[in-house]
Amino acid sequence: MPKRKLDPLPSAAFQILLSLAEEDLHGYGIMRQVAEQTGGRMRLGPGTLYSSIQSLLEENFIEELESREDAELGRERRRYYRLTSAGRKLARVEADRLAGFLRVARTRKILRGDYV
Amino acid sequence: MSEKIYSLLLRLFPCHFRKEYGEESLQLFRDRARHEKGFAPRLRLWLDLLSDLACSVPCQYFRAEPELVAVSGELSGATPSFYFMGDESPRPGALLLGALLSLTALATFSTLLSQGGVHKPRNASVRQLRQSAAPPAHPRDVAGDKNSLAAGVNETRASSSFDQDDSGNSTPAAPNEVSTAAAVPIAHGNVDAAERQRVLNAAIANLKQHYIYPDVAQKMAEALLANEKRGEYDAFADGDTFAYQLTKQMRDVSHDMHLELVYSQDALPPQPTKEQTPEELARYREAMKRINCAFEKVEILGHNVGYLKLNFFPDRSVCEQTATAAMASLNHADALIVDLRDNRGGMPNMVALMASYLFDHPEYFYNPRENTTQASWTHSPVPGNNLAGKPLYVLTSSRTLSGAEQFCYNLKMLKRATLVGETTGGAAHSGVWYRIDDHLGMGIPETKPINPYATPDWAGTGVEPDVKVKAADALPTAVKLAQSKLQKK
Repeated sequence: MPKRKLDPLPSAAFQILLSLAEEDLHGYGIMRQVAEQTGGRMRLGPGTLYSSIQSLLEENFIEELESREDAELGRERRRYYRLTSAGRKLARVEADRLAGFLRVARTRKILRGDYV
Repeated sequence: MSEKIYSLLLRLFPCHFRKEYGEESLQLFRDRARHEKGFAPRLRLWLDLLSDLACSVPCQYFRAEPELVAVSGELSGATPSFYFMGDESPRPGALLLGALLSLTALATFSTLLSQGGVHKPRNASVRQLRQSAAPPAHPRDVAGDKNSLAAGVNETRASSSFDQDDSGNSTPAAPNEVSTAAAVPIAHGNVDAAERQRVLNAAIANLKQHYIYPDVAQKMAEALLANEKRGEYDAFADGDTFAYQLTKQMRDVSHDMHLELVYSQDALPPQPTKEQTPEELARYREAMKRINCAFEKVEILGHNVGYLKLNFFPDRSVCEQTATAAMASLNHADALIVDLRDNRGGMPNMVALMASYLFDHPEYFYNPRENTTQASWTHSPVPGNNLAGKPLYVLTSSRTLSGAEQFCYNLKMLKRATLVGETTGGAAHSGVWYRIDDHLGMGIPETKPINPYATPDWAGTGVEPDVKVKAADALPTAVKLAQSKLQKK
């Protein structure tokens, strides 16, 4: 069996899941949301973005909605994506895993501050 | 513009990705391009895109196809079998390119295989080389044609002399003619002990001074001296036999067929000087003019077959115009017959000039007398020349010698011509000529030219024709061959 593409979850896929947590978005919307939530550090290119979307769709972590226009961006029809409950659960598990790392980092005095 | 570039770059992705997300990717690009204007944002956009391509293109190719996953389950323990993974038929362009590449590969292989016969590895034919190095049965064969040797060598040394016929009469009025004619033939070939001694010493000195491999020269000298000490030469009062014995012994040691000692009953011309005097040149020009530079016949035969009879290869610097005019008048022939049956050789520069008309690209023309140089290549293509691809027949006889054999040998090796007639005379004369006295001289190779063909050159053996007929029948045979070839077209 080939290696599962989302195990471990790549950070691009995780960011996509996070970006869809509050609203359904199209590809460009996801890209902008990810850039915003990472402070501009992660700008997904089309190859990475759609590869990740493809993998997430295959595993049913997100679903594709009917194409529609985005009034802001003109009259082109766009594919929208929505987080599934499985995707939400996966994002939560990943967030917990990262939070666990942060706790360790804090106990080892590598990370200071008390939020997260 | 930039969208076009990106759409081209998108073609790097595998087909299944492009089909599914190609349009989306372009849309994303358009959106970003619309919002990220100005130099810096645009630069950042392209950097993003390029790094994205570098990461995601390989990933896409390594993605496991869903079909493959399904198949891999079925494969365990089953007999080997093929599965067709593609979900669409290839583009017509790809099919065409594939067909073209297959044909090219096929053609290349078959060409290489058919060439294999001629281009054997050099080591493969050592036995053949040894055989040909064995001295011929009779001294005359060893010497080949003494006059043409002397003359042939002069070509290298002095660029002044031309091959002469067996009787010693000069065919064209070559500059050395006067001295040759003036010489008085001596009584049949006797050499006394004093002369033998003198010749032996001179031969040894020449070998040591001029032969390309000094160590081999030393060995040859030792062998000759040892033989002399044993009194082996005392019995050879006849010049021919003496020269033959010395040649044989030099070759036994060196295995070099180009090394020879030659006895001439007629007095040999004086050692040629490097430069021609103006008088010699003027005399030569005059002689060439009288005989049309040895271009005896230039005709168009039936079925538009061109016919050229060339009786020796004159100096290019004097006869280039004549040669050019002759070739121009044959330019529209559909096939060409070059008659070298009476051609005794001549200047390598004219051999190269004539050969230039026969190819559409420069070809290496092996010449046993010279190192590989710029002049070893034909000057093809000749502007305006139509003869490069035309069927070519070269007529040969046992009187075809030296430079004419060079012409035949190279055309045969390059598979450019069909040789019709008799085996040629076998006069390679690659040595530089050293005159010892009035009747004895020797050819010593001073250079090691590269013969690109595994088979030995024509020295002593001649060039075998492709179609063996009597010299007298060569022309009608070649005409028939040419006409039937043209009719088949």
